[in-house]
Order: sequence, then structure tokens, then C-alpha cells
Amino acid sequence: MAYDDLRSFLDTLDKEGQLVRVTEQVMPEPDIAAAANAAPRLGDAAPALYFDNVAGFDNARIAMNVHGSWANHALALGLPKNTGTRDQVEEFVSRWAKFPVKPVWRDNPLWAENSVGGEDVNIFDILPLIRLNDGDGGFYIDKAGIISKDPDDPENSGKQNVGIYRIEVKGRRKLAIQPGPVHDIGLHLRKAEERGEDLPIAIALGNDPVISIVASTPMDYDQNEYELAGALRGAPAPIAEAPLTGLPVPWGSEIVIEGVIEGRKREVEGPFGEFTGHYSGGRNMPVIRIDRISHRTDPVFEHLYLGMPWTEIDYLIAANTCVPLYEQLKRDFPEVQAVNAMYTHGLAIIVSTKKRYGGFAKAVGMRVLTTPHGLGYAATVIVVDEDVDPFNLPQVMWALSTKMNPSDDLVVVPHLSLMELAPQSNTPGTGAKLIIDATTPVQPDNRGNYGNQVRDLPETGEWITKLQQLAK
Amino acid sequence: MNTRTTEETAPAECPRCGYNKLVQLCTSPVAGVWEVYQCEQCLYCWRTSEPARRTQRDAYPDSFKMTIEDIRNAVELPVIPPLRKS
Repeated sequence: MAYDDLRSFLDTLDKEGQLVRVTEQVMPEPDIAAAANAAPRLGDAAPALYFDNVAGFDNARIAMNVHGSWANHALALGLPKNTGTRDQVEEFVSRWAKFPVKPVWRDNPLWAENSVGGEDVNIFDILPLIRLNDGDGGFYIDKAGIISKDPDDPENSGKQNVGIYRIEVKGRRKLAIQPGPVHDIGLHLRKAEERGEDLPIAIALGNDPVISIVASTPMDYDQNEYELAGALRGAPAPIAEAPLTGLPVPWGSEIVIEGVIEGRKREVEGPFGEFTGHYSGGRNMPVIRIDRISHRTDPVFEHLYLGMPWTEIDYLIAANTCVPLYEQLKRDFPEVQAVNAMYTHGLAIIVSTKKRYGGFAKAVGMRVLTTPHGLGYAATVIVVDEDVDPFNLPQVMWALSTKMNPSDDLVVVPHLSLMELAPQSNTPGTGAKLIIDATTPVQPDNRGNYGNQVRDLPETGEWITKLQQLAK
Repeated sequence: MNTRTTEETAPAECPRCGYNKLVQLCTSPVAGVWEVYQCEQCLYCWRTSEPARRTQRDAYPDSFKMTIEDIRNAVELPVIPPLRKS
């Protein structure tokens, strides 16, 4: 089932018992963030939250935790809400195989109902903005897809980018943005600034759930996120031309903000509590001038709480970080069985693999470090046997407790590249990385006394199915 | 809970850096419930209805406070590249 907008997905969440409407009056702060902080603690089937009675506002509609559980993530992909984590990742892998599915241009976008431009723009009139965490520098927008083009190659739709980057609201028509230098928007901005130009952007907020998933998926620079959206949702993604910039934006967004990142300008930003579970900020970052806002009538502000894991962001970037890494590793090493890169966007990764010969597992670990995503992440890589499910953490702990000999199964590689927000590094941008080989040694590596491992009985698989049916 | 801010109780200093020049960014659509202020020096924004730990200088956590030196020494990210030679 493909969703063309946020509201139809909220309806599904509601029907599936995955949406809690908070009808009592709440304070904008700290209630909405505290509720969203609490929601994932309810477990793997935690609900989304909907607020429309917020003190001081007369027209606020705020949706939180929309992706904030495995149940909601399953529903976003059109899967049954009780689909297990590993099954969701494997389904993601099989749908990615259909990439690219070109988007389709559609008339009468939902966000074209209302429009305001130039000096009349006041973002505070349209969005019920709130603070999330105590140390945040102000009100943020952190779940919008930001669309930009390569200034040197604007007709190349592959090089157009849709990504989620944090945005701080600094005035009625002024924003700040954190464009990670190695992320696609950072590359677009650098080219614009080298040319002495501003970078036109569109900010699409309140999207169908697959758009948010692809906008936070690590993809190659010349891969188009809308083409992955089409593969995941089983139908081409509907897009429309933003009126001022002409950029391709989702057809069904609640709000489309257009303007420019002002070239060669920086201003103090943040801090902001990040997905690493730590604040970053107090840096001079780029500034956006808003030139036009288009929006649905009575727009829904879709927002995302992030902080001490797991919060909604962990669910949003769980499966979609595993899949590209799995594909990249599998290309070189078909022995790889599964990749769990769900922790802190892949700062810690667990890989399950067969062993071609002695020492092979360490080679797989090293290959993780040189994949495109591994270059910035993968601070800790744990390699486990093919019969250890990397999504089954008790099994992974068993592997660590029995297969890992610290005298020669820990490989530390110093001074590798590492994303700047990783708090453990001494110099932002570089850091040491660790490979833990928690696999059973195979010939000619004859360390340890492993003898015969106790393996699952061959009939166990059938009995799992039988017991599940008997238990229904 | 409603927070009414009159001229006498409008904030006079930034909770985060102590600067005394503030701008009012917006007021509550329902009149008289809250206002949003911004510091002209460190650009911190807050709503008058927030807990004291976010709105009052003496309750604002020390670890989040900012000085003029912090602002002057703020790292530039991304680094502004050299202009291309035409």
C-alpha cells in the first residue's frame, strides 16, 4: 500500500491502533517533547502521537513518533505491523533490488492550496514550532526533506538530492542549516559557494512515510532518492515542481518552504541534541533566507524527538542503514549473510558471515571500514558466524562470550575518517576503529578448543512454524 | 497554566549568555499566553512559558551557557571554500 501523503498514513496508524491522540491541553514545552521522548519506551509497538490542543496556539496539529516503533516502520512499508526486524530488513533488501523506479510528475500538489511570499513570509504563522531538548538553542525542524541540485550539473536528476538535515528557526524568514560536508547537500553548497552563488533549496515537511525513510538513507551521490522511494512503495513516487525554485518536491507534502542557502555566509547555530545522544553546536553554520512558503490548509507539523536511544530517529535510520552496507559487502564477499547497522546510524555494526578460510572474518571486518558508509561510520565492527543472527543480540553476546579471544581477535586501526559528531574521537573528523572477530576459527587458523558445536536440530525450523500456528 | 508577560515582567537578559538586548520573535496566537524572545548576541530563542531551566539565567544549566568568546571562536562548518578563478 503506497501512501501519497502524511494524513493517509496517520489514518492507517489510527486504524491499526498505532496512533494516540492526546486531547488534553498540553504546554508546547516541555510536554510534547517529553511525550515523544517517552513513546518509544513503550516498546516495539509504540504508537505515533497527535496533539491538537496546545496552549497558546489556535490551529496547532503536531504529529510525533510517526516512525517510532517497529510496528509503525512495518506499516510505513505496507507490511503487517507485527513483522519482525530482520524480516523488515530482508524485505527492504528485496525491494531495493527493483531500484530505480522513476518518479512521476503529478499536477495539483496538495501543498499548493496556500502560498505566501517575500516580506509577508512568517514561519511562526504556519508552524507551531517547539523546543525538543533542554540545551537546544531554539526551535528546530528535523524531519523535513531538503531538496537541492548540483549547481555544475543541474539537469542531472541523479545528482539531485533529498536529505534530512537539521534546521534551526532564527527568525520569521530566517533559518540555519547543518549541511554535513560529506553529505550531498554539503557538496552542492560547496560548488555554489565556489561559484560565488546562493544555493536554491526547497524544504518539504510533513511527508508520506517512505519519503522520510529514503531521505535518511545513505545513498551514492548520483543516486536519486525518489527512485528508491518508488522501489520501496511499489509504485512511482509522485512529485511536483516547487513554484519558485522549480525543484522536484513530493506531491503530498504538508508544507514546502523555498529559498536559498545564502552563499559564503555563516552565523552561530545550535546547539542541538543529536542522534549520537550528545549535543553538538555553537558553530558558525550556513543561513537560509525563506522566499516562499506553500502549504495545505490546516497543516500538520510532523516533528521528530531524538536523544538518549532509542528514540524515533533510531527506528527511522535502522533498516535503511543496514541495506546499503549489506549490498556493498555482498558484492565483494558473497559469504556475508546479514548486516545489522542499526546502532547510531552504523557507528556500531554486526556482520554475520561464512568463513572462506582462516582469517576471512577479519577481512570482512576490514571491508566494512572501506565501504562508502563505513568510511564515515563503523567505529566498532563485530563479525559473527553464519549461524549467529546479528539482529539477535543475545546470540551476539553469546558469540562475544565464547568466540572472541582478546589476545588476537581485537584489531584497532588508528586515525581513520570518522563523522564529526562521533563524540569519542579526539579530533573531529578522524578516529580509531575496532574490529572484533567473534567467529569460530577455521583452518588453517587452529586457535581455541572448539571441537563440535551444538547445532540446532534439522527439524527445528519446521517446529517453529508449527508452534507459531498452534499458538495463534 | 498560562504565563502572562507584561512590560514589567518581559525578560531583560538572555538566560544563556546574559546579554541584555533581546528581540521579540512572535506572540501566542491566543493572546496573552506566551511570547518568544531571541538574544541578539548568541541567537538563543525561548518561549516565556518554558520551565525556568530554559528561561531564567540563574536556573539555566552552566554546561549550556555561552560566552562572547565562545561565539567569536565558533568553528566554521562547512568551511567556506575559495572562489573559483574564472
